[in-house]
Amino acid sequence: MIVTALIVPFVIGSLLMLFRGDVPGRLAALLGAAAMATSLVLFAMVWDGPNGVSGEVDTSWIEPLRAHFHIGVTALSWPFLLMTAFLGLLCCIWLVADDTSPAVVGLVLVISASSLGVFASLDLLLLFVFFELALIPMWFLIAWWGAPDDPDGRRRAATRFLLFTVSGSALVLVGIVIVAVQSKSLQIFEVTSGSVVAASLIALGFAVKTPLVPLHTWLPDAHSKAPTVGSVLLAGVFLKLGTYGLLFLDSFMLHDPFGKVAPYLAVAGVVGIVWSALACYAQDDLKRLIAYSSIGHMGFVVLAISTQSVVGVAAAVFGSVVHGLITGLLFFLSGSLKERFGTASMAAIGRGLYTRTPWLAVAFVFAAVASLGLPGLAGFWGELLSLRSAYEVGDVLTKSGAWTLLGFAVLGIALTTAYFVRAIRLIAQGEPVPRDEDRDLGGHEVVVSVALAASILVLGLAPGLIVGLYDHPTVTYHGSYSAVTP
Amino acid sequence: MRRHWPYVALTAVLSVAAAAWAIPQLDDDHGTTHVWVRGDALLGVSLATHVDGLAAQVMLLAVGVGLLVQIYSTAYLGHHPRYRSYALIIVLFLIAMLTVVVADDFFVLLVGWEVMGLCSYLLIGHEWQTTEARSGAAKAFLMTRIADLGLLVGILVIGQTYGTYRISEVLAAGPKNSTAIALLLLIAVVGKSAQFPLHTWLPDAMPGPTPITALIHAATMVAAGVYLIARLLPIFEASELAMTLLAIIAAITMLLGALFALAQTDLKRALAWSTVSQLAFMFAALAAGDRDAATNHLLSHGAFKALLFLGCGCLMHAVGSSSLSAMGGLRRSMPVTFGAMTIGFAALAGVVPTAGFFSKDGVLEALHHAADGSGVLPDVLGEIVFYVALATSLVTAAYATRLWLVAFFGDAKEHDEAPQAMIGPVVALAAASLVLSIGQPFHFGIGLLSTIIAAAGIGMVVWAWRAQGNLDIDAPLLARELDLDAPYARWLPALVGSAARLVVAVDRDGVDVYPRSSATIAQFASRGLDLLQSRNVQRYATVIAAGVALLTAAAVIWT
Repeated sequence: MIVTALIVPFVIGSLLMLFRGDVPGRLAALLGAAAMATSLVLFAMVWDGPNGVSGEVDTSWIEPLRAHFHIGVTALSWPFLLMTAFLGLLCCIWLVADDTSPAVVGLVLVISASSLGVFASLDLLLLFVFFELALIPMWFLIAWWGAPDDPDGRRRAATRFLLFTVSGSALVLVGIVIVAVQSKSLQIFEVTSGSVVAASLIALGFAVKTPLVPLHTWLPDAHSKAPTVGSVLLAGVFLKLGTYGLLFLDSFMLHDPFGKVAPYLAVAGVVGIVWSALACYAQDDLKRLIAYSSIGHMGFVVLAISTQSVVGVAAAVFGSVVHGLITGLLFFLSGSLKERFGTASMAAIGRGLYTRTPWLAVAFVFAAVASLGLPGLAGFWGELLSLRSAYEVGDVLTKSGAWTLLGFAVLGIALTTAYFVRAIRLIAQGEPVPRDEDRDLGGHEVVVSVALAASILVLGLAPGLIVGLYDHPTVTYHGSYSAVTP
Repeated sequence: MRRHWPYVALTAVLSVAAAAWAIPQLDDDHGTTHVWVRGDALLGVSLATHVDGLAAQVMLLAVGVGLLVQIYSTAYLGHHPRYRSYALIIVLFLIAMLTVVVADDFFVLLVGWEVMGLCSYLLIGHEWQTTEARSGAAKAFLMTRIADLGLLVGILVIGQTYGTYRISEVLAAGPKNSTAIALLLLIAVVGKSAQFPLHTWLPDAMPGPTPITALIHAATMVAAGVYLIARLLPIFEASELAMTLLAIIAAITMLLGALFALAQTDLKRALAWSTVSQLAFMFAALAAGDRDAATNHLLSHGAFKALLFLGCGCLMHAVGSSSLSAMGGLRRSMPVTFGAMTIGFAALAGVVPTAGFFSKDGVLEALHHAADGSGVLPDVLGEIVFYVALATSLVTAAYATRLWLVAFFGDAKEHDEAPQAMIGPVVALAAASLVLSIGQPFHFGIGLLSTIIAAAGIGMVVWAWRAQGNLDIDAPLLARELDLDAPYARWLPALVGSAARLVVAVDRDGVDVYPRSSATIAQFASRGLDLLQSRNVQRYATVIAAGVALLTAAAVIWT
C-alpha cells in the first residue's frame, strides 16, 4: 500500500516531465492532483494505531551494504506524511490553469513523492537517497520557474539553495556511515548505539535544512525567488525534512549521544526565534518576511526536540505539521498577490486590501493571526507545547538553561505579534488606492485557502488529534515524563 | 432594517441561551462543574465549564450589554458598508467572553481570553482607513497580547505545580507556589484591564466605534481581568507580595485615571480614563480580599459605563464629533439622552440612590476594613489605598459633573434626538443603573463620608462653572497624560526598529560571509587549477614528464 502511495506520484510525475509537450497544463495539474489524492488516501488508510509500524515493507535491496528497501509508517512519521501529501495535493490544485507547464506539475509530484519517501523510510540509506532525490527537482523549479522578473536572481538563489543543502547532506551522509559501521546495520530500529560525532554531524546536516541560525541565509533567497508552489513545498515540506531528521535520526535513533548536542541546538533554535522575528520586522518583501518567520517557527520545533521529552516530541510533530499548513497558506496567498501585482513588495502592493480584495485580505489576516499563535488556532498549540517542554525542562537541559531559553522564546512570540501586526497594517488596512490588478480570490485559490484554513481551525480546536498519538506510546520515545492527568 | 435582523436575532439567541444557563446558578455559591470533553493525558486540556453565582452574573452582564449594543448598532452603524463583519465579530466576541467566564480549564480560558483580544483588535480597527484607528488597534493588540504571555507562562507553572489545568481542581488543592503564579497572572490582568503601567492602550482604543467601546472597552473585556482575579482569589490571597503589588497598582491607577479624565477635552477619551480609574477601584477591593465588593462594582460599572458610552454615541451621532467643544446645551434638544446620561454620571460620581453609589460604598468599606489589618495587606498600605480611593472619589465626582455640565448645559444647540434603536438601549441601561442598587449592602458611616465627598466634588465644579462660565482646565502635563505613553509609542518601536535593521545588516554582511568566502576560495582554487589546463601541449608534456619522474622516484625510494 505504501509502495503504491509512493510509486503513483513518482510515475505520473516522471511521465508528465517526459511528455511535457503533449499534455495540456490543466489536465496535467488534474492528473497530479489525482495522484497526490491517491497517495493521501492510501497513507491515511494504512494507519493502524500508534503502536508499532503500520504497513511495513521490508525487502532486501543492496545486499553488500545490507541496505533494505524498508518503509513503514510510525506515529512519528504519519502526521508528516499526511501533511506532505495534503500540501502536494493543494499545490496541484493551485496549478489547475491553462498556462501551467506540465513539467512544473511533474516536478511538484517528484518532490512530494521523494519527501514522502524520506518520511516513510526505515532504512538509513534509503532515507538518504530519497532526501537527495528531492533536492534536484527543487533546483529546476526555482531556477527555471522562479521569479519571472529576475532570471539571474532566481538562478543564483537556486544554486545557493542547492549548495547549502548538499553540503548539509554530505555531513548527514558521513554521520549515517559512522552509525552504520558502528551498529553494523542500516535499519533505524536496529541502531543501538552511536557516537557523539555521528549525532553532531547528522544534527549539523539537518540544521542546514531546518534551518538554524547561522545556517539560514539560503532560505529567504530561495523562498522569495521560488514560484508559489516551490515556496509552499520548501517551507511546508523541505524544512520538515530537517526537523524530522533531527527528531527521528538524532533524538530518537541516537538518543543518548544526541543529549550532548541538544543544548547547543536548543540555543541555536531560540536565537533563531528572536533573530528571525527581528529580521521580519524590517522586511518589505512579503515572501521574504514569511520565509524569515519560518526560521522562528522552526526554532520552536528545535527547542522542543532538544528537550528530548514526550511533550517535546508532540510539540515538534505538531509544530512542524501546523507550520506546513499555516505557512503554506501564507505562501499561497502571497503567491496570489505576486501573481496579481508582479511583486511581493508590500510597499508596491499598496494599502487597503480589505476593500480592494476582501477575501484575499481576510484569508491573509487569518493566516497571519494563526501564525502569530492565537489560541484557538493551530499555531498556538505547537508553540505552547514547545514552551511547556522547555518549562518542564526534560532530560538533557538544565533548569536554568531551559528557563532562560523559555524567556527568549516568549520574547520571540511578542516580536512575532509585532511584525504580523505591522504587515496587516501595511497591506490589509489603510486608505485603499484601487488598482487595475485588484482581483479577489478565484476558483482554485478559494479551494486551497478554505482547505488550509479549515484544517488550521480543526487542529486549533482539537489539538488532541495529533498530540493524542503520543499519549500512551509503546514505541518508546525515551525520557521520563509524568503526565498531567485530566 | 432587513439586513440587520439576522445579526440581532443571532445575538438574541446566544443571549437567551446564556441567560437560561446562568439564571438557575445565580444563587449557587459552589457552582456546577461539567466536563464536556475529557482531554487526553499528554495534552491535559479538557473542555470543562464551571458556573457559579459570580460567573452567572458576569454572563448576564455580557450578554445583556452585548444584545443592547447589537440593537444600538443597527442604527449607529447600520449603513456602514462593513456592518456585516462588524456584527459578526461582536457575536464572536460574546462567545469568547462567555468562554472566559464559564471555562473550568485554564487553556479554554486562555483561548477565550485571547480571542477577545483579537476581536477587540479587529473592532478598534474597524475604521482602518484612518491612522488613529490603525495605530490604536495595533497598540491595543500588542500591549494586551504581550501581557497575555504572562498568563500563558502562568498556566505552564500551574500545570507543573498542580498536575492539572482544571481551575476547580487547582482551587480545591489549596494554594501552592502562589507568588510565582499570582505575579504571572497579574501581568496578564494588568494588560487586559489597562492598569498602570500598561494603561495607555485603552484611551488610544477610542477610535473604535462607540458601541464597541461600551461593550468591550468598558463593560466586559477589560473587566475580565477583575473576573479572573476574583475567580482565583485564593491563589492571590496566599501571596502577600502579589496582593501588595495589586493594591499599589490599583492605587496609582485609580488616581491617575481620574486626574487624566478631569483634564480631557474629548468626552469619549475622558470616559475611557474614567474606565481605567473605575477598574482600579475593583482591583483595590480585590486587594483588600473582598470579592463581592469587587464584582458588585464590576456589574454596576458595567451598566452605567455602557450607558455613558452609548449616550456618548448618541451625542456623537447628533453633533458628529466626540469633542467636548462641539457639544454643550444639548439638554433641551436631546431630553432622553440627557435624562439617561444624568443617571449615568450620577452613578459614576456615586450619588444616592444609583447602583454606583452602593457598589462604591462596598469597595470603600472593604478598603476601610483592610486598613484594620483583617486582610492580607499590610495595615499602612490598606490605609493609604483607602485615602487614595477617597481622593479619587472627589476627583471622580468633579470630572463627572464637569463632563455633564459641558455636554448638556450652556447655550442651547439644536440637534435631533437619537433614533429609537439607540435610545432604547440607553434607557434600558439607565433603568439597570438604578435597579441594580436594590438589595445592595449599605454601610452608614462610609456612605455618609462618600456622599459628603461626592457633594464636595460636585459643588466645587458647579461653583467654578458659575464663577468663570466655562470649565476649561489648564494643566498641560495632565493633558499630555504625564507622557507615560512615551515608552510604548516611541522608545520601544524605535528600539525594535533599530534592532531589526541591525539584524538584517548582520545577516547580509556578517552571517553571509562564510558562503561568500567559500565561493571566493572556490574561485581562487579554480583559477589555480585553470593554470594546469592551459591548452598548451608543451606544458602538458612537461607536467606529464615531471609526474612520471616523480612517481618513478617515489616508487624507487619506497620499494
